[in-house]
Amino acid sequence: MEAGSATTSGVAWRLWALVPIVLLALAVAVVVSQGDRVVDLVGGTPPPADEFDIRRVEFRRGEVEIRVRNPQRDDLTIATVTVDDAIVPYTVDGPTTLGRLRSSTIVVPYDWVDDEPISVGVTSSTGIQTTKEIQAAVLTPQPSVRGFLGYGLIGLLVGVLPVALGLLWLPALRRADKRWLASFMALTAGLLTFLGVEALSEALDLQAALPSAFGGAGLVLLGLAASALGMTFLSSRLSRGQVGVTGLALALLVAIGIGVHNFGEGLAIGTSFSVGELQLGAFLVIGFMVHNVTEGLGIAAPASGVRVPVDRLAGLALVAGGPAVLGAWLGGYASSDVVTPLFFAIAAGAALQVVFEVGRYVARTAPGGLRSGWVIGGYLAGIAAMWATGLLVG
Amino acid sequence: MPKFTRRRLLASTAPLAAAPLGLAAMGRATNAGAGGHDHSAHRSLANHEHALKMGHAAMIGDGAPAVGGPNDLDALLYPPPALPHEPGRVSAHTLVATDEEIEIAPGVFFPAWTYNRTVPGPIVRATEGDLLRVRFINSGSHPHTIHFHGIHPTNMDGVFEPVVPGAEFTYEFPAQPAGFHVYHCHATPLKKHIHKGLYGAFIIDPKEPREPARELVLVMNGFDTDGDGENNFYTVNGRTFYYARYPIKVRKGELVRVYLANLTEFDLINSFHLHSDFFRYQPTGTGDHWEYTDTVMQCQGQRGVLEIRFANQGTFMFHAHQSEFTELGWMGFFQVEP
Repeated sequence: MEAGSATTSGVAWRLWALVPIVLLALAVAVVVSQGDRVVDLVGGTPPPADEFDIRRVEFRRGEVEIRVRNPQRDDLTIATVTVDDAIVPYTVDGPTTLGRLRSSTIVVPYDWVDDEPISVGVTSSTGIQTTKEIQAAVLTPQPSVRGFLGYGLIGLLVGVLPVALGLLWLPALRRADKRWLASFMALTAGLLTFLGVEALSEALDLQAALPSAFGGAGLVLLGLAASALGMTFLSSRLSRGQVGVTGLALALLVAIGIGVHNFGEGLAIGTSFSVGELQLGAFLVIGFMVHNVTEGLGIAAPASGVRVPVDRLAGLALVAGGPAVLGAWLGGYASSDVVTPLFFAIAAGAALQVVFEVGRYVARTAPGGLRSGWVIGGYLAGIAAMWATGLLVG
Repeated sequence: MPKFTRRRLLASTAPLAAAPLGLAAMGRATNAGAGGHDHSAHRSLANHEHALKMGHAAMIGDGAPAVGGPNDLDALLYPPPALPHEPGRVSAHTLVATDEEIEIAPGVFFPAWTYNRTVPGPIVRATEGDLLRVRFINSGSHPHTIHFHGIHPTNMDGVFEPVVPGAEFTYEFPAQPAGFHVYHCHATPLKKHIHKGLYGAFIIDPKEPREPARELVLVMNGFDTDGDGENNFYTVNGRTFYYARYPIKVRKGELVRVYLANLTEFDLINSFHLHSDFFRYQPTGTGDHWEYTDTVMQCQGQRGVLEIRFANQGTFMFHAHQSEFTELGWMGFFQVEP
C-alpha cells in the first residue's frame, strides 16, 4: 500500500474506534432516562441491606471511637449506637447520613473495662443493627515519640537485623562448591515462593473483608500484575541486554522482592498492633528474627560469586529489611484497609517474579540444571525452612 | 484449625511480660508501641464530671434519646375516666388497623402494624356490665383480628373471624370480669402480628369504683427492627426513654394507680421496678390479693394494677429490672412534686 492511504486509514481507524463508545454513551443515556423502569420489568428490588462497615474501634480513657463506612449504594443513616447491647449517648464527627463509601467517626463517652471483650453496634434508621465484637478493649496508642521509636525498633529487629545476619553467610558461601551454591540459590527460590504464596493468600483474605465496591480480587490482580511486570522491567534494565540477571544485580532483585514483602509484613504488624488485635511479645519478635534470617541467606546466595563491598551489602540489608520499619510506622498510625491488601498483592507479584529470575539463573549455572537433586532439594528446603521457622511466630 | 499466616498468628502469642527472656530494653520499646501509657495509673474514671456524661445520669431530660414532644403519648398514658356502673350501657369504640412507619427511637423507623396509628393501640375502657361494641376496620395490608382477654362468646374471640384488608367486623360482648386486661391481634403468624404492634390496654372498671387516683397506663413492649427474632429496642408505650426525657409528673402523697401490662414479644418475661419507694400490686387487677413490693414480673400477656403513694418528692426512676431492657430503652422517671 502507498504511504498516503496508510495515513488516511491511520486517522480513520481512530474515528471508527470511537463508534462503539459513542453508541454505548447513547444507550446509557436511554437507560438512565428510564429510571428503574427497565429493572421493574423483572420484578421488585429488595430493600438495601443497610449494614454498616465498622472499620475501626479505638479506645481512649472514658471514650470509644467507632469508625463506620457505608458500603452500599444507597445512603445509610446512623440512628442509634449501642455498646454491649445498651443504647448510649454519642456524637458523630462527620456526616450522620453517609453516602456511598463515605465514613464518619462516632464518639461514645463510655467507661470501658481494660482487657475485657466488648461489642459495639450501630443501628441504621431502618433499624438494622451492625455489631462488631472486640476481643479485648485496650487503650489505642496515640502518636508519640516513644511509640514512633518503638515501632521503628520493632521494624529493625524483625526486618533489618535478621537480613543483615543472614548476609554474613556470604564468606561461607564463597568457599562452597558449585553444587552447594546451586542448592542455596534454589533455596532462595523456595523461600521466595513461600513468601509469594503467603502474601497472595493474605491479600485475597484481606480483600474479601472489604466492601465489594472496592473491586475485590481485581484489586489484588492489579497489584500482582503491576509489581511482577515492574520487576520484569527492572530486571531487564539491570541485566543491560544480557540473557539474565546475575551476581549483585540478582541479589538486588531478591532484596527488593523480600523488601516489598517485609513492608507488607510491617504494615500488618503495625495495624494489628494499633487496633489491639496483637500482643507483640518477645517470643514473637524472636520468631520473626529467626524466620527472616533465611531471607538474608537468600540474598547472599546470588552475590556469592562476585566481590561485594561492605557498603553495598549494608545497602542490600536496608533494601530488604528497611521497609519493615516503614510498614510498621504506616500501619501503626495511618493504615488503610484498602492499601494493605494492595501491598500484599504487590509483595506477592515481586516475590514470584524474582523466583522466575532466580530459576533462570539456576538453570544456566547449576551443574545438572534445574533437574539436579541439589537444586530440587534446595528448593524444597527453602520452603520447609520458611514453614518451620514460621511456626515460631504461631 | 485456623489458616497459617503470620499476621493471623500474631494475635495468639504470649504477651511480653510472660516471656522469661532478658530483653528488658526491647520490652520497654514494645510497650511504648502498645500504648505509651503507664498501666499503674488512672485505670478507672475518677473524673466525676466525665462520669456524668455517661450512663443513666446522662439519660434524663434532653440527654435522653427519645422521640417527640412532651405530650405526644398522653392518650396512651392517661386512660379516659372511669364511668359509674350502669348495666346495659353501650360502650362503643372504633379501632382501625393500619400500616404505619413509626419512629420508636431517634431516627429509627419501624414498619409497624397498628390499631389507630399508635403502638400500643388505644386504651379501651369500659365498666363491668357495659355492653362493649368494638367496630374493627382493617385498613392494613394483611388480615387482622382483635382478640380481647375476658369472658365472652367464642365467636367474639378474634380467632375464628379474620378480617381481610378492606373489610370490617364488630365485636359485641358484655364487659367482664372487672380488672385490667389486654387485647391483641390473633391472626397468624401470631408472633409477627403481635410484635408488629397490634396490641393495647383494656380496662374493665369494677361495679364498686376504685378509690379516685391519678391513673396511668404503661404497656411494656419491644421492637425487633432487624428481623432476627430478638428485640433491638424496649419501651413502655412505644418510644425508647420517652419518660426519661419527659418524666411523669405526680404529687407526693396522692394515690397513683398504674395499669401495667406486658406485650413484649420474643422475651419470656418483662418487669417493672420502682426506685426509692414501694407499691402494692394486684395481679390482673382482680381479686383481693395485693403484694407489697418494688419489683413485679410479668410474662407475655400478664398484667396488673399498681398503687403507689410516694412518701417523698424528687425524681424516681422506674425501669425493667432486666438490665439489658433498661439500657435498650425501657427506663423512665416519675417527677414527684410537693
